[in-house]
Order: sequence, then structure tokens, then C-alpha cells
Amino acid sequence: MAINVLIVDDSGVMRAMILKSLHMSGLPLGDVHQAANGQEGLDALNQHWTDLVIVDINMPVMNGEEMIDRMRQSNETKDIPIVVISTEGSKTRLEKLKQKGAAFIHKPFSPETIRDTIRNVMKLGGDDEGTN
Amino acid sequence: MKEQIKDTLYSVAEEVLEKLAFIFSFPEDERDQIDFDSAVAARVSFIGPFKGTLVMIVSTQALPELTGNMLGLENNEETTTEQQYDAVKELINVICGNLLPSIAGKETVFNVDPPEIVKYTDDVLKPFSAENGKPAEPASVARLDLDEGECDLFLFVDGQLPESAD
Ligand SMILES: [Mg+2]
Repeated sequence: MAINVLIVDDSGVMRAMILKSLHMSGLPLGDVHQAANGQEGLDALNQHWTDLVIVDINMPVMNGEEMIDRMRQSNETKDIPIVVISTEGSKTRLEKLKQKGAAFIHKPFSPETIRDTIRNVMKLGGDDEGTN
Repeated sequence: MKEQIKDTLYSVAEEVLEKLAFIFSFPEDERDQIDFDSAVAARVSFIGPFKGTLVMIVSTQALPELTGNMLGLENNEETTTEQQYDAVKELINVICGNLLPSIAGKETVFNVDPPEIVKYTDDVLKPFSAENGKPAEPASVARLDLDEGECDLFLFVDGQLPESAD
């Protein structure tokens, strides 16, 4: 199974870093789409079949938290696994994100963290073999 | 407290530069301020248990390597000014996001504005002095030397800092 990914971050450089980590991860990637804020992210979800959303929190126009809330409200998107990649360090906010069912990666991150977290949320198993 | 914040500013900046941009930096507390004419400045404002602004100034000559590293480009690939600005903005964003809970504690909640590039580097440290007519004193300054070029960070805080950090 190839994973179709949507990367939502207001920084183009950060989106490129995440994409590079995905390519290095050995995960079976399908189509990868990008969006620069939550609103663009929701639009992209309408247009493309998506298996996994990687989303930043602090973004102009619509932040990641609101995008996640809107995703959870819609039948088409409520079950899509979500990984938040953010600088957020507040336990209070992280707890709220967990309650919404999102996994969390702290910036700065390592490619291994991205790989392992995605394997977890996509339930791909924990070791290096058997996922491709 | 002031020393503690300075140490935190240094350690967070060094860690983020290394992990995000694969750039090693060295504290050079005593050196002169960066030459504003050949540097790019970015700032990010925040509000929470205390309110303020973090300013980051990076030598122009450091930008190609820093940006290329973040984007994962080959050595000879060129980066655009837009990419370089974006790289500096994301660096200050991540530094600020890691700095605040280190100073105020992990239970605290801060709202951090999107980072912005400040075109006129001369002005970047001035707006903070306008409020009460007194010159702005940063709560903390970190001066780092990079492989190529330099990086200065200024943390401005409006009002009082919390008494203790954890
Ligand atoms: Mg962001």
C-alpha cells in the first residue's frame, strides 16, 4: 500500500525538510501534496485522496488546531491519521491534541522520529522489514 | 534569573541551528554586534505568561549554506532569496517555540505570531524603545559565530519576567 500524504506548513523550507525525511524513511510513499495553511489543507483534502496528514500548528489564515477540528467534524476526513509537527512545547496544548487523536513530533525533529511516528499511526509495524 | 535565561537562549539556539540547519555555532559573547549592512533580520512576537519579541540577525554570507542544508540541496545548488528568508523565519520560529517553555515552564501556554523578515535591519531593535521613550534593553542577548558569518539573538520582554523558571 502506498501512502498518500498531505503536508501542511506555512514554511516552504520546513515542508521540503519533512518531504526529504519522508523520502529517507523507506515508507511506501504515494502522492504527496502540500499546503501552506489549514484552509489550503482542507481544500487539498477535498481534491486528493489522502491517507495521512502531517500538519503544523502555528500558521496564518487557519492554524493546525482548527484544521484538525474541521477534519474531525467531517465524515470524509474524520478518520484520517494526523501527525502534528510543531514547536509547541506546552503540555496543556499537547494534551488537547492527543485528545483529538493526533500524534505529535517536536521541531527540530530527526528523520527517524518521523518514520517511527508514521509507522505507529499508520499501524505499519515497528521494525525495518516488511513494510515496503 | 538573567544568567539562566541567557544560558537557555544560547543552548536552544545552538541546538536548533545544529539539528535543523546542520550548522555548528560557538558562543562569542564578547564580540561586536553583527554588521547590519550585510545581514538579514527576522522577528517573532509572543504573548503568554509574559509578552515580548525575539529578534534574530544572521550574516548574509551564512544564508546559502544554512538554507541549502535545510532544503537538503547539493553544495553547488543555488538558493533564492525567498528560500533564504523562509529558512531564517523557520529557524527563529523553532528557536522561539523551544525557548519559551524552557524559560516559563512546560505547563505555560504562549501564542506565537508568525515570524517576519525585517527589511531595514537598522530599525529592528528600535520599535521596542518607542513605548516609554526609554531605550530598549533586551532581557537577553546571544552572539554566535558560525562556520561562515555570525548570528545574534535578542530577547525583548515587555514588563516583568516571571520570578523563577523550572
Ligand atoms: Mg509554522
